[in-house]
Amino acid sequence: MSFLTPLFLLGALAVAAPILFHLIRQTSKEETKFSSLMFLLASPPRVTRRSRLEHILLLVLRSLVLCLLAFAFARPFLNMAQTDDAATGPGRRIVILVDTSASMRREGVWADARARAEAFLRDTTPADHVALFTCDRDVKRLVTFEQWDSAAAGQRATIAIAALAKAAPTWHGTHLGTALVAAASALDEARAENQPQLRERRVILISDLQEGSHLAALQAYEWPKGVELVVEPARAKRPTNAGLQLIADSDDNEKKPGDAFVRVRVSNSTDAKRELFQVGWQSADGKDSLGKPQDVYVPPGQSRVVALTAPPVGASADRITLRGDDEPFDNNVYLLPPEAARVSVLYLGTEPETDTAQPLYFLQRAFPATRKQIVQILARPPVAQLLPSDTEAPLVIVTDAMSDERAAAVRRLLTEGKTVLVSLKTAAVARTLGQLVGSATLTADEAKVPSYAMLAEIDFQHPLFAPFADPRFSDFTKIHFWKYRRLDATQFPGARVVAKFDTGDPALLQVPVGKGALYVLTSGWQPGDSQLALSSKFLPLLFSLLEQAGGLRPQITQHTVGDTVPLAATNAAVRVTKPDGTGLTLGAGTAAVIQTDQPGIHTAVSGATTQRFAVNLDPQESKTPAMPIEELEHLGLAVKRADKTTTVQAAETKRHLANAELEARQKLWRWLIAFALVFVTLETLLAGWLAKPTVATSAETLSPAGRLS
Amino acid sequence: MISPTEQVGHVSGELIDPHALMAIRSLELRARVVVEGFWTGIHRSPYHGFSVEFTEYRAYTPGDDPRYLDWKLYARSDRYFIKKFEDETNLRCHLLADNSRSMAFGSRGYTKAQYANTLAATLAYFLHQQGDAIGLMTFDEQIREYLPARHRPGHLRHLMLALEKPATGAATDLVAPLKRVAEIVRKRGLMVLISDLLAPVEALERNLAALTATGHEVQVFHLLDPAELAFDFDKAALFHDLESGRKLYLDPEAVRHEYLRRLGAHNLAVETTCSKLGIGYRRFGTDRPMELALFDFLRARMAQSKFTLRSRN
Repeated sequence: MSFLTPLFLLGALAVAAPILFHLIRQTSKEETKFSSLMFLLASPPRVTRRSRLEHILLLVLRSLVLCLLAFAFARPFLNMAQTDDAATGPGRRIVILVDTSASMRREGVWADARARAEAFLRDTTPADHVALFTCDRDVKRLVTFEQWDSAAAGQRATIAIAALAKAAPTWHGTHLGTALVAAASALDEARAENQPQLRERRVILISDLQEGSHLAALQAYEWPKGVELVVEPARAKRPTNAGLQLIADSDDNEKKPGDAFVRVRVSNSTDAKRELFQVGWQSADGKDSLGKPQDVYVPPGQSRVVALTAPPVGASADRITLRGDDEPFDNNVYLLPPEAARVSVLYLGTEPETDTAQPLYFLQRAFPATRKQIVQILARPPVAQLLPSDTEAPLVIVTDAMSDERAAAVRRLLTEGKTVLVSLKTAAVARTLGQLVGSATLTADEAKVPSYAMLAEIDFQHPLFAPFADPRFSDFTKIHFWKYRRLDATQFPGARVVAKFDTGDPALLQVPVGKGALYVLTSGWQPGDSQLALSSKFLPLLFSLLEQAGGLRPQITQHTVGDTVPLAATNAAVRVTKPDGTGLTLGAGTAAVIQTDQPGIHTAVSGATTQRFAVNLDPQESKTPAMPIEELEHLGLAVKRADKTTTVQAAETKRHLANAELEARQKLWRWLIAFALVFVTLETLLAGWLAKPTVATSAETLSPAGRLS
Repeated sequence: MISPTEQVGHVSGELIDPHALMAIRSLELRARVVVEGFWTGIHRSPYHGFSVEFTEYRAYTPGDDPRYLDWKLYARSDRYFIKKFEDETNLRCHLLADNSRSMAFGSRGYTKAQYANTLAATLAYFLHQQGDAIGLMTFDEQIREYLPARHRPGHLRHLMLALEKPATGAATDLVAPLKRVAEIVRKRGLMVLISDLLAPVEALERNLAALTATGHEVQVFHLLDPAELAFDFDKAALFHDLESGRKLYLDPEAVRHEYLRRLGAHNLAVETTCSKLGIGYRRFGTDRPMELALFDFLRARMAQSKFTLRSRN
């Protein structure tokens, strides 16, 4: 016996009503007026007599009628053998895509997602073809269609569940677009291969569907026809999630000590329940907070920028922590204090540092120390020995003729990839230049300059002059050259003339030697030769040169989880320590890059050099409110709403329809109603019979009055 | 002088059932019905005094008081005649009818107040017929209506109207009205108190004593409903005190014994007090025919007058 609408059985609870009425009639507080209670004492009435039910038969009849009515409304029917056709028919092809991004680390989300995935896996039939993917920044194929099909039918779900159990939320961002494309492609490929008769193809996405998901990949993808997307949203226990994001600061201005050291953006989720947070520095071990945390009030769905002063002096603070948030996964921003890169420029000349008429004097003043880098000029007179560290310098400047031995050493550096600038201070330097380019016959002679020469033809396409390409900066005519050395550009095979004098003689040449680049300036920048050192173009030119030499590589210390971080190029093996203490060693000679997979401060030790860099969470991961499913529909995806389409519910609907049909055939409710009517009649008769004696007695009580009146 | 025992009752010899009597709407008619059944002869004043109403002339005989000689007639006829008047009776009767809320109780289709008012009307009618001056005072916790004792045409009508006014009183406070009536009524007379006397005995005693002390003759009719006398309720119910508004949930069977005991004690105390003060006391249920009450009244009056005469002798 089953019921079509079992909720109506609750109507049987109405049986309580007649029982209650029978009892109430007994205990009704009938009020009797009496002249005076002065002779009466309060006496609680004896309950035993009142709680007894009278007219049990009447009560039973009434209750029976109610029960029968409730029973009839519940539409009972007798179960017949039903043919279950669910197992037959072609199977489905399903990709279960489980989100493992950092936002899934919120409390309860991953457990929910896993439970949903496992429910789907258990619900599969042997005819189904299922693949299980996880996605964050990349797509991981935990179980492919081939693995699924090759496993025994009974073991498939177990294998997939075991594979899923090994997965866990990572620290990566959500590249949902890429993942959906991968899943749809997997389904599409499978159709292309075989089994066109498969009943349905479906991607089941189990994700928190956060707003910060990257969907860009779907823009350029045509969602295959016949592939349905079922979204199973995994829900977080608590909605509040505030995130921290470091705001890039312009380094141009010199900062005063009292100024804000760093600025962070605190953004709160739209469905947040909390609004007050604290932001403060925290020690490297993450236990102690340093300094006083700053209160910040962020209404839901908004963000505030907080300027933090430097951490207390002497404290090893490497992160900014957000407090007062429900979800801790995105509450840390790691950052390293900016460290000036030390760049050395090797200067090979003969003049003393103090001679104000010589190139070295100007060179040393051309590189002021900035926050980003400290450029050190290593002036090595011909007599001094070259140190091993000197060879690390990316730029070598030669202004005087050198000994053969030293010239050979410089050439070796040049061929290894260094950049060398040779300034022809005198025509005699041409010999050294010849040694560097490997041409013994190279000569140069003093040019005859009428009054002064100017730079006339400048190749602004060249990287060195590219910063001056704008007409506002391209005027080099103010720089007068009094003297220069004439050099025949044809003497250098493969040389590029970057700038020429107005006389037509080359002023700056770039000669490729080995892996390195040799720049030849046919004049000098000292006042004796030209106004170059005193012009406003000198410093940009030198920095441009240093940049070309690779000395001013922009030092990025902020990375996002998943970024590939280049490590300092050395020949030794690199030992990288990750924030959680694990490490890995990259052998010498391998590509010195590391794929980051967790936020925190990474340390790479290679020989004597230590490189530290901070890796932070994708700021988009903090945008945890659920994205509307319509957004996916707008991108052309065939989204089937999850609430109606789960297989369990579909089966339930079908079963319900079958039951309704069965019930309509049997129509047991008619009999029940008929019985109820019979009992109502009986009840009426009985009640009428019971009421009769009462009427008789009341008539009797009235009779004396009637008799006398 | 009439003999009440012989005169009471209708020709049929049956008494009137109070239930049937109360079905009569007019109070005056009710009173008349009762009295008519009782009435046989004229109860006249034994004294021929000198009053406003002239009755006859009589020849003077030596020994008559020369004050009553009609000198004008002597001047016309030269004979001595004595002028005789019909005197008003000496009796000044005040009916004190309790109209408090407790009197609004009644288990027989009429309330104690209705019975009390009918009784008062009956007495008034009877006494009026006798030519007595009748005053009326209805009261609850204070005096509601007061008519001084008079015997005038139309006075009875006023009296009936006053008795027919619906009772609006709250509590029974016999003390204040009795005290007040003692102050108002200076001339000595008969006070008939019709009440259920549901009040503490001590205060009652004090005020009745005050009344008797001023020389009034007091007659008390203690009315109680049959339901009050027997407490024959069968269902447990919330009992609502008509006077105080207090409510009590009671099982009558459980409390009946104690109630009857206490009521008996109260009644006994009242009775003792009355006899101690020389007050005529009658207690009866409202189901008792009214003629019997009238008969009681007259018998008490006779006993009282005998007693008075005896005590004067």
